[in-house]
Amino acid sequence: MSELPRWEVFKQDGPGKVHQAVGSVHAGDGQHALFTARSVFARRPAAVSLWVARADHIFALTKQELDAGKGLSEGNGGTFYIFGKKTNRRSMTLGDHLGTLEASNPQAALEAARTQYGDDLLVWWLVPDSALVRSTDSAETVESWFAPAKDKTYKQQSSYGVVGQHASAHKKAVRGGDHD
Amino acid sequence: MTQIQNASASAPVLAALPVETPEQLEAFEARIAAGEKIEPGDWMPAEYRRQLIRMISQHAHSEVVGMLPEGEWIRFAPSLKRKLILMAKVQDEAGHGQYLYHAAETLGATREEMVDALLSGKAKYSSIFNYPTHSWADVGMIGWLVDGAAIKNQTMLAGCSYGPYSRAMVRICSEETFHHKQGKEMIVLYAQGTPKQREMAQDALNRWWWPSLMMLGPHDADSPNSGVLSRWGVKLKSNDEVRQEYMNEHVPELLEAGLTIPDSDLHQDEQGNWRHGAIDWTEFWAVVKGERGLNKERLGARQQAHTDGAWVRDALDAYAVRESGATRA
Ligand SMILES: [Fe+2]
Ligand SMILES: [Fe+2]
Repeated sequence: MSELPRWEVFKQDGPGKVHQAVGSVHAGDGQHALFTARSVFARRPAAVSLWVARADHIFALTKQELDAGKGLSEGNGGTFYIFGKKTNRRSMTLGDHLGTLEASNPQAALEAARTQYGDDLLVWWLVPDSALVRSTDSAETVESWFAPAKDKTYKQQSSYGVVGQHASAHKKAVRGGDHD
Repeated sequence: MTQIQNASASAPVLAALPVETPEQLEAFEARIAAGEKIEPGDWMPAEYRRQLIRMISQHAHSEVVGMLPEGEWIRFAPSLKRKLILMAKVQDEAGHGQYLYHAAETLGATREEMVDALLSGKAKYSSIFNYPTHSWADVGMIGWLVDGAAIKNQTMLAGCSYGPYSRAMVRICSEETFHHKQGKEMIVLYAQGTPKQREMAQDALNRWWWPSLMMLGPHDADSPNSGVLSRWGVKLKSNDEVRQEYMNEHVPELLEAGLTIPDSDLHQDEQGNWRHGAIDWTEFWAVVKGERGLNKERLGARQQAHTDGAWVRDALDAYAVRESGATRA
């Protein structure tokens, strides 16, 4: 068989935080994508909600493409979720959910987004509302999906804090080396 | 909308790409020099794309095969606590494979062709995972040394010029630190434990020390792919530089733990850098080529897992067919 479609995953780390683009999974449908995304991206406690959208339903453009005069392909109007990459700083996410707006087509949504969220973003993703599948926000779901990871403190490096502090005598002899 | 679509990176398609001009290359290199990240959709030399696909997919395969040597020990864990830790670590490695396949897919490689390349034996993965695990102490030593060496390499790659690869590395490094520390903790405790435990820890070090040095790759003079990868900001440090960082961190800690490093030429130079004796690269290449080590067994285990999962893929297919029929009706 040929591979299952790819779904981009957006994770919200906590109440009041925005969803961020964390990576993708392959899945047969939205529910399958959510379950897979939970295993891949929420093994550690910081999650309260996941959204997924089929990768081929997302409209994306880089700053370089935009500067070269490239636009978005045709598509239906409606509600668009806008994600953007703001900096080149080290990060484990592509970018944040900046906001949501209505437009008559993807190109119009992009232009509205540029006006609203700034023109210097490095990558734009526009996700049509109709393409998004979301984990349920009920307290019950949040608890059963994301809470178990909280008790598994042995997955955190901080559980092993004291180990490795013992070698300073042998270490400090190094001059001019690069340590991190 | 180039970000999302899978432009195939196979040879015929690349041949059809527009010719690369010196101006394009210059602008690309200027972006890298300025510390910008290259994102999917941006212009990049075909060779940059090709090298990245090769490197990232090999890295993904290494994470996936890397589950096997330790996974064998889950059922032998000496306590529930250690079992939970090891399961979490092996699960993380599966996740790391997923992050990396994703990064390679943004360059046009498909998941299916990468998995096929691994299962058919066409693709390479890190030969460190072809060494056998002999005792429970190997689980600790792998965490301390193999994950420790991987962290040095991956911390460097977290700063690389390709956005999706860099992001995968940042995510992976934050999880690897747990792998490293749980292994170090286990070995430090064994090294202070019963004579039998001390012997197990030393035996594990004797077997894993040299492979952990070799897994950071050939010496700079013998490293064929490094030139273009360092020129384009993928490899920010050379193999020997990363190996030096690894030595400088791990040698003092292993000594402090009371273990003996199996290298009679090991010493500290005037700068304070720990130097190793000559590495036996014939063994490294024999393992890479599959003449030594468990290459056949590792691939066999992957192929078996793939075969065993066929019913899940079949069920997903059948479900998809039924659903599409239902919506059409
Ligand atoms: Fe890993
Ligand atoms: Fe690891």
